[in-house]
Amino acid sequence: MMKHHCQRPEAPRRIVILGARGFIGGAINARLAAEGMSTVPLGRAELDLTATDAASRLKSILQPADVLVVISAVAPAKTVPMLIGNLHLLEPVCEAISRLALSQVVYVSSDAVYADDSNPVTENSYVAPSTIHGMMHSAREMMLRSSTAAPLAILRPTLAYGPEDPHNGYGPNRFRRQAEKGEPINVFGEGEEQRDHVFVGDVAGIASLSIAHRSEGIINVATGNSISFRQVADMVAAQYDGRVRVVSIPRPGPIPHLLHRFFDITGCYKSFPQFSFTPLRAGLKLSMQPVPR
Amino acid sequence: MSGVLVGFAGMTHLGVNSAAAALAHGFRVVGYDADAGVIEGLRRAEPPVLEPGLPEMLRLHASRANYTADVAELLHCDLVYIVADVPTDDAGKSDLASIRRLIEAVSGALARSAILVVLCQVPPGFTRDLPLPSERLFYQVETLVFGQAVERARHPERIILGCADPSAALPAALAEFLSAFACPILPMRYESAELAKIAINCCLVSSISVANTLAELCERLGAEWSEIVPALKLDRRIGQHAYLAPGLGLAGGNLERDLATVLKIAGETGAEAGLISSFVRNSRHRRDWVLRVLHTEVLPSSSDATIGILGLAYKENTASTKNSPALALIECLSNWKIQAYDPLVAGSSVSHPRFVSGARPEDAVKRADALAVMTPWPQFRSLDLEAVASAMRGRVVIDPYRTLEPGKVVGAGLDYFTLGARPLRGKRRSDT
Repeated sequence: MMKHHCQRPEAPRRIVILGARGFIGGAINARLAAEGMSTVPLGRAELDLTATDAASRLKSILQPADVLVVISAVAPAKTVPMLIGNLHLLEPVCEAISRLALSQVVYVSSDAVYADDSNPVTENSYVAPSTIHGMMHSAREMMLRSSTAAPLAILRPTLAYGPEDPHNGYGPNRFRRQAEKGEPINVFGEGEEQRDHVFVGDVAGIASLSIAHRSEGIINVATGNSISFRQVADMVAAQYDGRVRVVSIPRPGPIPHLLHRFFDITGCYKSFPQFSFTPLRAGLKLSMQPVPR
Repeated sequence: MSGVLVGFAGMTHLGVNSAAAALAHGFRVVGYDADAGVIEGLRRAEPPVLEPGLPEMLRLHASRANYTADVAELLHCDLVYIVADVPTDDAGKSDLASIRRLIEAVSGALARSAILVVLCQVPPGFTRDLPLPSERLFYQVETLVFGQAVERARHPERIILGCADPSAALPAALAEFLSAFACPILPMRYESAELAKIAINCCLVSSISVANTLAELCERLGAEWSEIVPALKLDRRIGQHAYLAPGLGLAGGNLERDLATVLKIAGETGAEAGLISSFVRNSRHRRDWVLRVLHTEVLPSSSDATIGILGLAYKENTASTKNSPALALIECLSNWKIQAYDPLVAGSSVSHPRFVSGARPEDAVKRADALAVMTPWPQFRSLDLEAVASAMRGRVVIDPYRTLEPGKVVGAGLDYFTLGARPLRGKRRSDT
């Protein structure tokens, strides 16, 4: 359960968002702006974290009492150079925030930090990443934790989907693209792996609440409902009035070691009791419309 | 009547029931407590705790009981039991300071030949470290069960006795007293007895955890845990009295205390205790079952829902709310209106911004969007479910302990959620 430094929601003076032009960053920025919060959205064009002067530039942007949201990453990190590159991206951030009295730092991490486990994942589950991507996020969490005295909120979203997702990862986004092209939706094997899929607007919603309450601690951003890829594919296909088929294709590799992942989201119920997640069917419909920016 | 005079220091739940059992077996008793109000109540046969049959027993044997707030009156006792509560913190860790102070005060008042028996829940190593002559110092395992305390104190299955030398004969007064209970006496070294108490509780927790884990599977598979339990109980290796009822995790404090003690000792000695950590995790997971049902079934569609709660005590027949699942639930529902009823627990013990306490069960039910039966008080079984359905605004009844009759709940048109089974959807009036 997160610790709220503001029991009643209270807008911070300003929120600086690193990685605001990305899929999740964009959704968070749009949500905060729609709620009337003052944001400073920064993408690579505004602040290149690989530049040698990135730390000093960020220092000149940040003001005491700001909330800083950190999302910038080259994701998913699949290789060792990507891992190292992502850690380097955060180095100037850590340097810039180490002596600043920020109101809060929010880091958007990933559920990939958790060990593969048959038990439902909670915020108390073991952090033992089995992928480079998970290791990258785990290391970056630690980098931030050791660099700031401000309350640190770590959001660990599971598989996020929604409009404008630039990735074509296996799941709702790819299924929708295949359907839009009039192609069959391909599922690997029987598509039996069960996963939790969270609408990107809900990731933004939890981020907004975490900021409004200046929350500290870890929160998983998952709906608590896991369903098979086959069911997701069928739901997407159903939105195209029977014009799209779901086709089983051979798996590119062996069946994943972690066949299913479930979440126990009691921590979210306790931290943000009035928040409700968008049901997958409704989220898929929303994904067919562009998000207003 | 026996000539042995038995003292009990600490008129707690354990203390009063132990004293009552000694009285029932024909002994004279001195009951000491520093709280004069508690002593006054006992003199009127009004114990400070609720236990079926306890006031009657105290009244019946009042002529052999001397209740006092003066520790010096223990001077003439042949043996004295230390029966104080050992407080625990939220993590289940014991605070032993108060019991050490009590033992110091009592041992200073004892006759030179008197025997001192520690009957509280203490960690292994505690008794041997006490600065008392070992031939006069014993540790006895207590197996208090709230709601059955009188019966269990009078008729224990066995007496587990920690001694400095288990092979030595017991002192005459202690032997006479213990033999009155007509059950096996198992002398063993202090540490073994102290750990035996913990071992008993770990076995109980093990059964509870198995029941909770498999009950959750039943909820997801459509199996019925209540159908499986009789099959387990007829297995001699499991037994009729096994703790197989699913629940909302561990409550009451004593079981949690022993788990915390095992984890502490394992941490200090390098022993592997992953199993115990799993028990703790499972207990926390199951404790929030009602909250999850509410968030799945009621709260997303009703932003201003009213939740009715029947029962605040951690179990029936007690006013104790230590680690009460009801109170834990209420704490997580600060955004919603709560209306509750408990036969014994006062509403003033609840801290919640929108909490209303009623004088009758009906007060908890009226216009509720969901009803949660959080303590299986027997009187809830006789609720008029048709009247409940008429009074409620919503249809959801959450009854983890199966206090209500599921068929009647559904028959009244309500949806029924219980541990160990799939939800039952109520028959809507329009369906018939």
